[in-house]
Amino acid sequence: MRNRLKIARVSMDLTQQQLADKVGVTRQTISLIEKGTYNPTLKLCLQICYVLNKTLDDLFWVDEEDFEREKN
Amino acid sequence: MKKIRDERLILRNLNNIRIAFIVQTIGIIAILGYDLVTKGMEGMTSNPLWIVFLITAVVLGYLSMNISVEHETGEKSPKRGLWISISVLIAITLGVGILVALSDGFGMLDGVIFGGIIFVCGIVPIFYIYHLRKKQNEELEDE
Repeated sequence: MRNRLKIARVSMDLTQQQLADKVGVTRQTISLIEKGTYNPTLKLCLQICYVLNKTLDDLFWVDEEDFEREKN
Repeated sequence: MKKIRDERLILRNLNNIRIAFIVQTIGIIAILGYDLVTKGMEGMTSNPLWIVFLITAVVLGYLSMNISVEHETGEKSPKRGLWISISVLIAITLGVGILVALSDGFGMLDGVIFGGIIFVCGIVPIFYIYHLRKKQNEELEDE
């Protein structure tokens, strides 16, 4: 699923490793979330939002049409 | 070794365990199959792996009940299900018990033992399912 995690992370001047350390996951997981390959749980999404000072909508919201397009 | 906290790796680890379980089960079945061919039924059941295989199958069966109960659609009364299951089990137990007792070479006592074994083996999963359904109903009421 596409998201705006990379933009938010870069704007906070954080590397993937730093963000991963802050939320307690591996760098690969952050990388896969940014690429949209891995769908994180709501718990991890919230942890990321807290660290980056963003809301779930800011980072992960996708319009229904985009969602359907990505699903197919 | 550090404890894995990454949810993605926990999931992948579970998947690896599943693959290992499949390989292990295939191995056990192959060994038991070899025993069956070379030593016959007696030889196969005397292998300790047979017990391991049976216990694993029983545990897996019980764990699957957990999932099938949650998969049930519509509100089912746990008590009604319990009484229906017990009635069916009693009918089966009596049927098997009487048939065994009437068979050549078997006596009344054999019928009681056979029926008793079937009853005990049947009543445990019935009560387990009842417990699971009751728990699920309570959780639904909480919502």
